[in-house]
Amino acid sequence: MEDASISAGDAVRRDLGARPLWSRLHLPWVAGALFLLLLPWATRNAYHHYILNLILINVILAVGLNIVKGFAGQVTVGHYAMAAIGAYASAVFAAKFGVPFWLALPAATLFTGLVGAIVGIPAFRLEGAYLALATLGLAESVRIAIGVTDYLGAAVGFSDIPPPVFFGRPVVDHIAYYYIVMPLALAGIYFSFCILRSDIGRSFKALREDSLAAAACGINVRKYKLLAFLISALYAGCAGSLQAHMAPGFLHPNSYTITEMVTLLLMVVMGGLGHIWGGVIGAAIVTVIYDLTRDYYQYQMAIFGMVIVLTVMFMPRGIGGLIDDYLAKRRFVAIRRAKANAA
Amino acid sequence: MVAYVVRLCLALALGLAFSLRPGVADAQGTIRVGITLRMLVENGFKYGQMAQDELLAVNAAGGIKGQKIEVVLLDDECKPDKGVANTNRFIHQNKVHLIMGSTCSSVTLPMVDIVTKEEIPLIIPHSTNTTITQKGSAWIFRTSVAERFYAAVHAKYLAENAGKKVAYLFTNDGAGISFVRDYKSYMADTYKVEPLYEGQMQETDLDFRPHLLKIKSLNPDVLAIGGQIDAIARISQQSYEVGIPSKVRRVSASAASNAPVPELAGDAVKGLIFAAAFSCTDERPIAKEFVKMVQEKYKVRCPDHDFSQAYETAQLVKLALSRAKLTLTDASLADDRKAIRDAFATIKDYQGLASGPINFCADPTPQCRDGNRTGILVEYTKGGKDYEMRVLARVGFEADFGLKK
Repeated sequence: MEDASISAGDAVRRDLGARPLWSRLHLPWVAGALFLLLLPWATRNAYHHYILNLILINVILAVGLNIVKGFAGQVTVGHYAMAAIGAYASAVFAAKFGVPFWLALPAATLFTGLVGAIVGIPAFRLEGAYLALATLGLAESVRIAIGVTDYLGAAVGFSDIPPPVFFGRPVVDHIAYYYIVMPLALAGIYFSFCILRSDIGRSFKALREDSLAAAACGINVRKYKLLAFLISALYAGCAGSLQAHMAPGFLHPNSYTITEMVTLLLMVVMGGLGHIWGGVIGAAIVTVIYDLTRDYYQYQMAIFGMVIVLTVMFMPRGIGGLIDDYLAKRRFVAIRRAKANAA
Repeated sequence: MVAYVVRLCLALALGLAFSLRPGVADAQGTIRVGITLRMLVENGFKYGQMAQDELLAVNAAGGIKGQKIEVVLLDDECKPDKGVANTNRFIHQNKVHLIMGSTCSSVTLPMVDIVTKEEIPLIIPHSTNTTITQKGSAWIFRTSVAERFYAAVHAKYLAENAGKKVAYLFTNDGAGISFVRDYKSYMADTYKVEPLYEGQMQETDLDFRPHLLKIKSLNPDVLAIGGQIDAIARISQQSYEVGIPSKVRRVSASAASNAPVPELAGDAVKGLIFAAAFSCTDERPIAKEFVKMVQEKYKVRCPDHDFSQAYETAQLVKLALSRAKLTLTDASLADDRKAIRDAFATIKDYQGLASGPINFCADPTPQCRDGNRTGILVEYTKGGKDYEMRVLARVGFEADFGLKK
């Protein structure tokens, strides 16, 4: 019996567990990057390039939200406010101080990360609905503060944000901007995988399952909560900066309301909390559905509400959950097959 | 099992959504017009529908010089990102010949940058922000009255008829802020008068009484109320609750012309004045005919200036299209857009529903592109469901009024 189980384990490792050479060489990533490089050329017009940019910016936002909510289990409703901070910070650096995009982007990202770390402090003592309320309050405060600050364009909006300049040429076409957004989105997804597979990722997951048990195991709960908020804010800051510099370079506080936050949550929930690819797929699907339902504006919010209800009722673990189910079934079949062979 | 069926339905719905994606408009020989407005508000859907109906009505009469019109109508929720998305879609996906929009200035401002870069004519029915036409775009035309004119209409009237001690109370939305800013600026520049009091609250605030009590103690001549429908109605009501007498004139932004204001505020709205571009009590035959049409077709008792300006803009679009020489092929798209722009620039002394004649010209300046330079001053004489109003004054301005010399 013992021998049989060992051989079954070996078979499973052979079938599924061991990483083949192509995987170790990051070939899927290379293939993905190649696909994304060529994708704009397969689309029909500049509007599709614009939508691709929106999808990729939303992917960065969704992947970032997944880190704090999906991996670390912290209920935040303030992620979009972080994006607003990143967007306005980048706009101020570029439009008011003349900082080029290539410096404004990292500066705004770091600035947002710092704000994210400060926002993470209440999470030391708050959990669940209370943390959600605290972050919701923050999100609304940010939006209102922007709306009454003349320096940031107040309720009229922040206009004339300069586009990136590449070798002396402003990047104003959506297809050209795509080649700035795409590598950042890809890097964001890759970095998210790196986090998930590291001891930081495992600590996040322990925190999510039971923070008391995690603390009992020696995990510094405060440190990892703070880290989760910081990393997620870095993603939001980067996405916000990309939103700000995309043509026509205009920001308004009305673009950062609770409706946008709920839409972002839908991306992550639909994709599957804690599943990186799920978040990516969720962001793509929700952005495309949002665009497709633009013609049916009277029913758009009803459609979105229905999708949320149906997803929560029948796909509570999202698309990522479906992928998990499939992989678990595959593993189960492999074990059964291995046992049968051993017998 | 049920779960699997629902999952399958979800997947099918998603697939269907992708496959039903509206295709690129490539019908040649058709004039394509994109309309983006704030639709999901009181009457928003109706005036959007009306603008679309007005344009499509020419098809029943054989089109414009035999050329049919196709309209794509979208909602932008008064959010700039949605307006930008709609504009991009009109230009690159629907390949429209001209765009009409938007309601909110914060949406129109980024739209101006896009249409200027892509060279598409944009006709603006509602947005009032002065800076829109100061961007120097050769592709935009505005039929609504700009803030630089509105501010002076009531400021001058009140300074001469009520007094110069003005208390300002406003909410932090674009309309409220710009109304107060322009009023203050006019009073400071013209009469060297500073505000008696200034209070700012949130759009969603309900209780304005603490501010109003302070205002009462200062004994102002005028209470200036900046904000949207709910705020104007609440402040008007609460100003009487705290005992500010009726001899203190109440003045508000053009949002006061929206029907829910008198309906919500009841008799508290009596005596409230505002500057607008149209009043449903207008006695001109063209206005009476318009009001009757809206009442019968769209079931709105007293159409406000959002309705009239949407209607007026649709008429101007038809006029420009009838003057433009259009080829309407894929290859001629850029030339057709330019021809429509040039046709708009030829419109002179057009007198329709608007408070004054509409004049455009070729220079990309506010003087040429702010078409309507006449505001009317309206006063509510009765509140509630059967509200009534009267026109106090009609004030026309020079083309360069309110511009920095």
